[in-house]
Amino acid sequence: MELAKIESLLDSYFEGETSLDQENILRDYFSSDNVAPHLIAYQGLFVGLKNAQKEVSKREVSLPRASTNSSKWWLGIAASLVFLIVIVGLQFSETKMTNQERLALTEFYKTKETLLLVSKSFNKGTQEIAVLNQFTETKNRIFK
Amino acid sequence: MEQKEFLNTILPCKDTLYRLAKRLLVSSDEAEDAVQEVFLKLWKGRDKIHHYRSPEAFAVTMTKNYCLDRLKSRQASNLQIVHSNYKNSDNIERSVEANEGVELVTKIMQTLPEKQKMIMQLRDIEQFEFAEIAQMLAINETAIRVSLSRARKAVREQLMKQYNYGVS
Repeated sequence: MELAKIESLLDSYFEGETSLDQENILRDYFSSDNVAPHLIAYQGLFVGLKNAQKEVSKREVSLPRASTNSSKWWLGIAASLVFLIVIVGLQFSETKMTNQERLALTEFYKTKETLLLVSKSFNKGTQEIAVLNQFTETKNRIFK
Repeated sequence: MEQKEFLNTILPCKDTLYRLAKRLLVSSDEAEDAVQEVFLKLWKGRDKIHHYRSPEAFAVTMTKNYCLDRLKSRQASNLQIVHSNYKNSDNIERSVEANEGVELVTKIMQTLPEKQKMIMQLRDIEQFEFAEIAQMLAINETAIRVSLSRARKAVREQLMKQYNYGVS
């Protein structure tokens, strides 16, 4: 690297007019072993700045587990959704019976109705029997 | 945003934030605290991160604000904190020469006003473009160049003093 170029770069560096690339040229020049004797005082500056970048944070950052909280909330929503779907699904499957099932159900209701009618008539019959009981009671009183 | 995704965006600039915080607060312990605090704030506002053109610039701005607040409250409470960054084994491992270079330059940088300190840190150590620094610090580029020039000249002056003292 020409010395004159380095010197002019140094001048514009201190005026705040160098680009990042030009600053890198300066950094590289002062990191090398053949720095001109009258510029050696600047070596500490550029090497120091370069090395200052090597300093790193040694502590781990810890973040709160906020994400688990929100996922639990979603889990709750998901669970209730599934529950709702199951309920609604059951309701639907009940109304959506096959033709055969519907026929069987009407048959069942019809039979039930008939049987109820029969039992009603039977009950009427037993009521009549109560009168007959009265008859036997009186008969027993006379014929001992 | 998931924690993993968040860390992938922010973790790469952790050391940059740490160095900036350390430049301003001096104590490495306080700088680590600052980084932790800034990460927490960013995490809380993680949904807004993508609104910013550069998450890194946003994080730097937050770190700057946090550190300046700390310095202000330190001044207000009139506390004189003596920083004792005890050397640990890591520091000893570094070559003594290189370490001296860093210490001298950073020690001189400590004497600069906050604004110049931040600008020199972001430009000469982190090597950000002027446009990026302008965004981070909300200062226009011309003003940044002027401050930077002053900072560099002040460092040069001190460095020359030290150097001449060493020679003579």
